[in-house]
Amino acid sequence: MPEKKDVRILAYESSCDETSTAVVKNGREIESLVVATQIKSHQRFGGVVPEVASRHHIEVITQITKEALAEAGTNWADLDAIAVTYGPGLVGALLIGVSAAKAASMATGLPLIGVDHIMGHIMAAQLTDEITYPALALQVSGGHTELVLMHDPLNFEIIGDTRDDAAGEAYDKIGRVLGVNYPAGKTIDAWAQEGHDTFHFPRAMLQEDNYDFSFSGLKSAFINTAHHADQIHEQLNKKDLAASFQAAVIDVLAEKTVRALKQYEPKTFILGGGVAANLGLRTRLSQEINKLAQQPKVIMPPLKLCGDNAAMIGAAAYNLFEAGQFADLTLNANPSLELPYAASMLN
Amino acid sequence: MKILSISTATSNLSVALTENERTVAAAEETDRRNHSEHLDPLINQLLKQAGWQLADIDRFAVALGPGSYTGLRIGVTTVKMFASILNKELVGLSTLAILADNFAHSDQLVVAALDARNDNFFAGAYIFKNGQPTNVVPDGHYHLDKLLAAIKQAAQEQGKKNVILAGSGLSERSEALQAALPDLSLTFAQDQDNQVHASHLGQLARSAKILDPDQVLPRYLRRTQAEMDWHRKTGKPFGQDSDYVEEV
Ligand SMILES: Nc1ncnc2c1ncn2[C@@H]1O[C@H](COP(=O)(O)OP(=O)(O)OP(=O)(O)O)[C@@H](O)[C@H]1O
Ligand SMILES: [Mg+2]
Repeated sequence: MPEKKDVRILAYESSCDETSTAVVKNGREIESLVVATQIKSHQRFGGVVPEVASRHHIEVITQITKEALAEAGTNWADLDAIAVTYGPGLVGALLIGVSAAKAASMATGLPLIGVDHIMGHIMAAQLTDEITYPALALQVSGGHTELVLMHDPLNFEIIGDTRDDAAGEAYDKIGRVLGVNYPAGKTIDAWAQEGHDTFHFPRAMLQEDNYDFSFSGLKSAFINTAHHADQIHEQLNKKDLAASFQAAVIDVLAEKTVRALKQYEPKTFILGGGVAANLGLRTRLSQEINKLAQQPKVIMPPLKLCGDNAAMIGAAAYNLFEAGQFADLTLNANPSLELPYAASMLN
Repeated sequence: MKILSISTATSNLSVALTENERTVAAAEETDRRNHSEHLDPLINQLLKQAGWQLADIDRFAVALGPGSYTGLRIGVTTVKMFASILNKELVGLSTLAILADNFAHSDQLVVAALDARNDNFFAGAYIFKNGQPTNVVPDGHYHLDKLLAAIKQAAQEQGKKNVILAGSGLSERSEALQAALPDLSLTFAQDQDNQVHASHLGQLARSAKILDPDQVLPRYLRRTQAEMDWHRKTGKPFGQDSDYVEEV
């Protein structure tokens, strides 16, 4: 039998404040990855300004296309498809990737694949290790906090979701209170390693019989504590504040994840999204999973694949390619794209 | 020379294929806000109609701005990619020059303007010599009062009494404008003459300067509100775009 031909996909990601291109082989091997980040720009404003983000994306789009090809040592003729994040994210930002990928598809005749950004985050795992199904993913990022049940590489359903803020968003908001530049997660994580949970912030929805999360109560408790201390001119230990906040976040994420692992007994557990870079969270989840009677394989992608990047989009796109799920030239940005919800979530 | 011209600057999506002075195929979708969905299929439709391939195009032309920021980026991104991948020429023209070109054979002062809300306009004024536009009120973002003063001055300097106004947001104010410019005789463009047409772009593109696809950006003619607020608050210089984006 002839060997299966390699599939090379050029992928684009521009949903927020990173413009990224990558060439990925067979959905598993990164042949090149270029990430142009705009963090320095948005730090002027304390958060991502959508119009500024869109303007930066278009500045680099043709250059990073050439760089991804050059770094991979490929040219257009070696590629099999072009993939792009088409949602969720900032509409103007998404449109740069979508317009570029469609134009590239027209100019080269290569097929086009539209990828859900969250499916992409989760599929960073496929670049790290072989996923066996069914799998369960904890997706924690700037805009999402979800438990996702994966029946196969394409059929995902959300079994738990945040009712308000996403975990990453909560990190960024309390970071502002502590005077930490956006995006604050990494610094808060580092401080937390050096502090202690002395404030005992509330753990929301821990007892409730569902897989949902809530972080706005925690955020408010944190802000009230900080403001009250300010008013009475008391200096609070920032490292203890960070450790206390992080402990509350991790307790809830770990508890609900473990419960879901016990109920669904997946073969693989995946940690995905920007907050998956969190050291405390990675350590705690590993410890908890080690205690389980039925232990899934654990995939936690390396830090550089946790944040937004095009390699993860190329990984997810490969699965769509194999299933023959292509987009046409009417592909548009969909800022509020969502993975499907499980039946249990729909009432 | 075969040229593909695109304008996504306004609600009127316009695409044209031209070969020298001849328009081979052209199409417009009026008031379609979803340019992202319609642009590429429309290009393909015109290519098919003309019996051309995308690779046959010698030069890609785009309305660079001003206009809807999101709209501009759709068109500009598309031609940047086409030109870059196919190794073909790229030119970009002022949206306002293309709009004014609807009156290329007039000897009047032509004011082209796009409504930018709250009595503000992206506007410029042009005169034509041998069908070629000269920008006599520089393309910019103007409050109506400033625009009127600039039109008055340009008309005086160019010795024009008759002024044509085209675009959006002006004809609704025709009486007020005429009252504000009593020494000038104003004519307001009708219907299609208020739209940006890619077929006109295709003509202007023939003598336009060739641009580097990697460097070309929309001409927004206005910084973002966030940047202006930041600048006012901190007094810091805006800096170069390249100061803010880094590869990691
Ligand atoms: N070590 C860390 N600990 C906690 N949070 C972190 C860490 N590193 C990054 N983050 C957070 O991750 C978030 C960014 O993740 P990501 O880029 O995946 O989100 P996004 O793309 O903005 O949103 P989404 O993917 O949900 O659409 C930020 O909120 C940032 O603070
Ligand atoms: Mg993300």
